[in-house]
Amino acid sequence: MSENPELLPKEDVVLRVDDLQKAFGGLQATDHATFEVERGTITGLIGPNGAGKSTIFNLISGFYEPDGGTVTVGETDVTGMEPYQVAERGLIRTFQTPRKLEGMTVREAMLVGPRNQPGESFLSLFTSPGSVGEAESKNLADAQRILEEFEIDHLATQPATDISGGQMKLVELARAMLAEPEILLLDEPVAGVNPTLAKKLEEQIRRLNEQGTTFLLIEHDMEFVMNLADPVIVLDQGHVLTEGSPEEVRNDERVIEAYLGGGA
Amino acid sequence: MRLLDDPAGYWADLTTAEKGVLAVSLAFAAFLFVALLTGRLGASYFMFLVGLAGMYGLLSFGLNAQWGFTGLINFSVAAFFGVGAYGTALMTADSSPVAGGFSPVAGLATALVVALVLALLIGIPTLRLRADYLAIASLGLAEVVRLVVLNERQWTNGSAGLRGIPGFFDGWPVLGTFPEAMPGLRIEVIPGSPVLLETPFWQSALNVLLVVTFAAVAYLVLRRAHRSPWGRVLRTIRSDEDLARALGKNTYSFKMQSFVLGSLIMALAGVFYAHLNLYVGPGDLDPITTFYVWVAVILGGSGSNRGALFGGIVVVAIREGTRFMGDLPIAVDAAPLRLLLIGLLIVVVMRFRPQGILPPQRELIWPSAVEDERAPQRPESGVRERKDGDSDE
Repeated sequence: MSENPELLPKEDVVLRVDDLQKAFGGLQATDHATFEVERGTITGLIGPNGAGKSTIFNLISGFYEPDGGTVTVGETDVTGMEPYQVAERGLIRTFQTPRKLEGMTVREAMLVGPRNQPGESFLSLFTSPGSVGEAESKNLADAQRILEEFEIDHLATQPATDISGGQMKLVELARAMLAEPEILLLDEPVAGVNPTLAKKLEEQIRRLNEQGTTFLLIEHDMEFVMNLADPVIVLDQGHVLTEGSPEEVRNDERVIEAYLGGGA
Repeated sequence: MRLLDDPAGYWADLTTAEKGVLAVSLAFAAFLFVALLTGRLGASYFMFLVGLAGMYGLLSFGLNAQWGFTGLINFSVAAFFGVGAYGTALMTADSSPVAGGFSPVAGLATALVVALVLALLIGIPTLRLRADYLAIASLGLAEVVRLVVLNERQWTNGSAGLRGIPGFFDGWPVLGTFPEAMPGLRIEVIPGSPVLLETPFWQSALNVLLVVTFAAVAYLVLRRAHRSPWGRVLRTIRSDEDLARALGKNTYSFKMQSFVLGSLIMALAGVFYAHLNLYVGPGDLDPITTFYVWVAVILGGSGSNRGALFGGIVVVAIREGTRFMGDLPIAVDAAPLRLLLIGLLIVVVMRFRPQGILPPQRELIWPSAVEDERAPQRPESGVRERKDGDSDE
């Protein structure tokens, strides 16, 4: 871990990214990126195309291994861990283009969400079917409740392949909540979603945040980010350009320049 | 049993495909029964066919647990089958160059252990990688196992194969002497064509008992696993492995469990085969078995245990049915026709029903949870209320 006196551990930091680096061949996709996400916030991560937003997400969630730097979730250094181990520490992520789970109903797809289900152990299916059933009943009830809160409970028994892309994004968010995340990383939650559903997603994210979930989200839709997120982190060419409230970021000349393609 | 309580309701609940499969199966069973009664089909040969169908059912179950559940592409079905057959044969056969004379139960255990080791050997390096690598490695593995069996004659007798394998129940109390102890029966339903049930028939009946036991155990285990959260993770991996990883599932471990489970079931089929045929040779490891089993699973509907069983039976029906093609007045040899028919069948199925004949059709949630959920609004009476909860697949 590199020593950075400005980054003394704070108690309310859920996610700390410190001096993270990743290169693909000659391209420095993540260039000494450092930032923190405080508990209870909706933190936005924006930046022009190719700024390295998705790379950072993949580095944080364990899908890529960083060349240098550290990622800390809560108190745990998760650098170099497998994605499932990062998820076990309470960091759950969604994907830009969720693939639909073939042959499952929406509520079946939801039931993949809860972590550490007793029924995920093959032996338990035969040695303690009772506790498997109990957990499944509880998870099914939770899934139903969350679908109701999201106002998509009418989709519960629909095949997951039959719902629209926007509805799928809602289901994904709902499913991620079943995993009881400490922090939820959303990768372009409203990309390709119609405005009505986007509004609904925004409301849901706000509601969940008020109930205590911390969010880090990447989004191209500026209006969406500026409405929802505070603070906003701006990435450019793999490093953090600036960070602040939506107002500050909006008026920052470096940000405008980065977006207009200057500085190169 | 729904079927007995309310046959009309049971029928009405079936999908079109299920009705079709049920009707065809019943018609085929009736056809076989008539052939039996008229003496066109020998009773002990019939039992041999049932045993073979059970064996293919087992192999299909195994591949379904890998490909159908998790999407693992395993092209070494024949190798795991062969390892099962050779595992038990080397322990039990008189002519075994290694350790003959053990009880078949020890043979069964050995076969399963060897299959487990082989599955781990191939799984450890490939299951962390993309699905394609397992496919390639397993293709190679099948050939390696076959060539080792063929060439390492000091261990396997090479091309001579292993003779003198005892029946599975030989030496067991009661069952060991059951075929000889049973009286020869002569049933004459149609005058002039009696059906003879003698020692070979009872011997075959014992084999059927064995394979039905294996298949029933495998089916029950797979059915429970398929409906469980465990099975759900596998199905998630099949559609989107990254999603499963992001939700905290150790996909490598799940893939390994699914691969090992399927391989063990395939080895079980091999154990049965060795004690059915009483001889195993390197020819039993030919890749054609792998091909047949893939056809069976795809035909039946990937992911469906019933479909796998059905596909296995169809493949045996074609494989053995073409033997009688010689009786028909057409100037074609049966063997190439057999492959042609299977090829044609798979083309037709892929064209008109790519999901297979009996794909998994229903929601797979742990049954008691679904019952809990509907308990409050469950009506007082009626059999139909269990419509979903009682479903298979």
